Amino acid sequence: MSLKRYKREASALAAYLILLLGMAVIAPAFFNPGNLRDLAMNNAAVLLVAIGMTLVILTGEIDISVGSQFAVCTVVAGWFAKAGVPIMIVPLLVIVTGSLLGAVGGGLVGRLRMPSIVVTLALMVAWRDGLRWITEGAWVQNLPPDFQWFGFGQAAGQVVIIAVTLIVLLAAAWALQNLNAGRAVYAVGSDAEAARLAGMEKRNVVFAVFTFMGALVGLAAALNAARFSIVPSNAGMGLELKAIAAVVVGGTAITGGRGSLIGTVIGVALLGTIGTALTFAGINPFWEKSIQGAIILVALMSEVVIRVMRVPLALQEQ
Amino acid sequence: MTRFVRKHESVLLLVLVLECAIFGVAGTNFLTTPNAFEITRLSVEIGLIALALTPVIITGGIDLSVGSMMGLTAVVLGGLWRDGQMSMAVAVGVTLLLGLAGGSLNGLLVTRLGLPPLIVTLGTFSLFRGIAEGLTRGIENYSGFPSQFLFLGQGYVGGIIPAQLFILVIAIIGFAWLLHRTAFGRSLYAIGYSSEGARFAGIPVRRHVFLVYLLSGLAASVSAIIYVAHLGQAKSDAGSGFELMAITAVVLGGTSIFGGRGTIAGTVLGLFALVVLQNGLRLAGQPAELTGILTGALLLGTIVLNRFSTASKKQAVVYGDTEEIEVKNSQVAVLSAVIIIAALIVAASNWMLVRSVNRNSSPAQTNGAAPPVPANRIQVAMMPKAKGDPYFISCRQGAEEAARELGIDLLWDGPTDLDPAKQNEVVEAWITKGVDVIAVSVENQAGISTVLRKARDKGIKVITWDADAEENARDFLINQATPQGIGNTLTDEAARILNGEGEFAIVTASLSAANQNEWIKHIKARLAEKYPKMKLVAIQPSEGDRDRAFSETQTLLKVYPQAKLIMAIAAPAVPGAAEAVKQAGRTDVRVIGLSLPNMNKPYVKAGIVESVVLWNTVDLGYLTVYAADALTGGRLKRGDNELTAGRLGKIEIAGDEVLLGAPFIFNKQNIDRFNF
Repeated sequence: MSLKRYKREASALAAYLILLLGMAVIAPAFFNPGNLRDLAMNNAAVLLVAIGMTLVILTGEIDISVGSQFAVCTVVAGWFAKAGVPIMIVPLLVIVTGSLLGAVGGGLVGRLRMPSIVVTLALMVAWRDGLRWITEGAWVQNLPPDFQWFGFGQAAGQVVIIAVTLIVLLAAAWALQNLNAGRAVYAVGSDAEAARLAGMEKRNVVFAVFTFMGALVGLAAALNAARFSIVPSNAGMGLELKAIAAVVVGGTAITGGRGSLIGTVIGVALLGTIGTALTFAGINPFWEKSIQGAIILVALMSEVVIRVMRVPLALQEQ
Repeated sequence: MTRFVRKHESVLLLVLVLECAIFGVAGTNFLTTPNAFEITRLSVEIGLIALALTPVIITGGIDLSVGSMMGLTAVVLGGLWRDGQMSMAVAVGVTLLLGLAGGSLNGLLVTRLGLPPLIVTLGTFSLFRGIAEGLTRGIENYSGFPSQFLFLGQGYVGGIIPAQLFILVIAIIGFAWLLHRTAFGRSLYAIGYSSEGARFAGIPVRRHVFLVYLLSGLAASVSAIIYVAHLGQAKSDAGSGFELMAITAVVLGGTSIFGGRGTIAGTVLGLFALVVLQNGLRLAGQPAELTGILTGALLLGTIVLNRFSTASKKQAVVYGDTEEIEVKNSQVAVLSAVIIIAALIVAASNWMLVRSVNRNSSPAQTNGAAPPVPANRIQVAMMPKAKGDPYFISCRQGAEEAARELGIDLLWDGPTDLDPAKQNEVVEAWITKGVDVIAVSVENQAGISTVLRKARDKGIKVITWDADAEENARDFLINQATPQGIGNTLTDEAARILNGEGEFAIVTASLSAANQNEWIKHIKARLAEKYPKMKLVAIQPSEGDRDRAFSETQTLLKVYPQAKLIMAIAAPAVPGAAEAVKQAGRTDVRVIGLSLPNMNKPYVKAGIVESVVLWNTVDLGYLTVYAADALTGGRLKRGDNELTAGRLGKIEIAGDEVLLGAPFIFNKQNIDRFNF
């Protein structure tokens, strides 16, 4: 496992370090422990979703319905809690809900070989509008008092959320490198036909990955909902773009087969920090979107720079 | 393959005919010439983008940045005309050039650097919208364009044909010619099918792909110009979400997302299948959410069909042994599509049944034995700014209550998210449907007034509530509070808590939200006038998302530790800000804001939220329906001083405004009395 393999991740890391360095000069207060804790808390859900998205993109597919899935799962968490389901069981039920939603996409993409971008586009609209139709926009209120922080209290609850996120991250990273199932994700993404000949059917892998993605969205929604005492009906707006952008900035190839979870972590950290960093630096929030767009493009270009240094330009013509 | 293409299009045509047949029966005035033209008018902006995306997708690419490009070109058009003092023609010219520039940026990144189009345009999707917001600070809303320019989006040629229809027709012919009658067009299919093969065949792949993105940028800017002329305003949020609508139309039209296959005819049919569905559901009085669900189902159904007719043959050549499974898969696909559609039909019919039962039983409950006479019932169509917003849901409660008391048919529909263009479409549909009263909470004054005037010309009574249109576009305004009243009340409340001095920060909705920006203007004016020792240190966006408001407030508390007050001026932002203050343990900080009582009760009781400023939204909906009823019955006319409105008693009228009363302050003492 040479460092050379992580060149693409390195450019995102460099950008992140520059950002942190800038903050150290402009606004050292950025680094107070409270702020770092809040940043971690606010990005935990995005990271969980981005882990799933990394797997999906590694297989060469994409899932843009995760934001809508997240909204459905959040509301479902509220419903279960309100119906009197024991608070420790709620996350499990939400994860099951998420897996089912993910399996719908996985079934259509994997089993029926429909293009994922179109399938998940349709599901994105359908889940979100279906939820709107049912809830009519109403929030889920009057939840049992132990809904917030799973009844652990704020400090312990925060530790639980961070710990669960880290465990999932490490487990996924390990499995992706060491388990057959993990290697199969890379295999079908880099060459579906070769993988098939080696006994790995793309449609099975894709179905599994989409279902796993749904489960992660469910987990993310449950953990995120537990930070509050009320459940909104419009959660997760734009979450899909955040997750995809983080994965790509982290160096995962959108065409599949290449990338790592380390990169995704860096991508989430980089994109999740910018907004807060801008406020600390006193920069007008009006420019936040442009800066994010620019970072995505710059991260892409750095990949090209690396490539150009190695390969003669003539060979790059498709 | 040509056989498939024809087959796909005939299926779409069948869907279209089916839609027309269903809505011809279920919808009011659906099958009329004016409605047909109205549908085409509404499809022009999306249509232009869909047309330009067709070649992009045929080459195997995608362009997600078109909607953002519209936002950027729209504000540049507005800025050049108003602030740059340019004539409209020059401004339009520069705008088109900007569209070309944006398109070529995408094109260069995709072709010269060999980057994946999905990611490049995802980046420019943020970038273009971000620049638009940065340039206008989100606030600027250019309006008051010359009438010759507005004719392009609002006028009729020969009294009936919408002016912009000609542009769409020209674009359709142009793209059809380009794609199906030129060598360039053929080369795009070759590129999409195999770009390597195309290159070996001597096609300049890079140059052709570049041109395709250039065209897409140009189409986005043309579309933006028409959008601005149509709505009479240019704002940085123009065209949000258009890329998804357009892609849906293209894919529905049978263009393969992997490239190499697709036709302009298919795209046009796909486009109309979508807009007819939207328009028809509206005229049939179905909720807007159903549109999304059915669009999704239609899209999935189309692709399943696509698989069904192509997959088995094509795959069989590659690996014969999977053919059997392939066929089985398609059968499963068709089966599941049928199940989805059947489920939807069952759900929809149940819903309609429940609705009709409600309608028939409600007057019986209130009027005792009086038999309902549906034909003579007054039909009031009421539109919120956004249907999913809890604020408007509570308005609806009151409106339904009044409708039951009066035995009125209440039609409640509107955009699911803030969307000025959608509001116009819904009003157009209501005019066609022929309702008695239209009551609108206006998102965009300049844009909707034209349509409302048209409604008045047709003899429909028009009321605005919550937010006003231009004065001559409506009969009455149900005024709950002026922006100035809100700004002043919030500022005075803040001053009371801070004892007139110190720092505070605002968490707003989105940076381009018109209402919020209006309130902020009055808050700043009030500060300058009465409270010179108070300082507004920051304004952060929450995008109407509770979680975003939460994290923005956390940051604000750290960056501005001296600020002792957070003013959150969007309904979901107040509980978000309150939770952040609570978790930070900052007992010295108070939150106030504009929100609904229910979602803030725990925080108000805990003393974190000092007060919530709002009017009684249930009463607002209630009063609006009563005013609508009085207006049709001739019991409310200009010059009256008061109106009797059911349980509200006598309500004051000033000129053409029905006044609900001053903003209300909810606090620890009174919040339990309210439930909305």
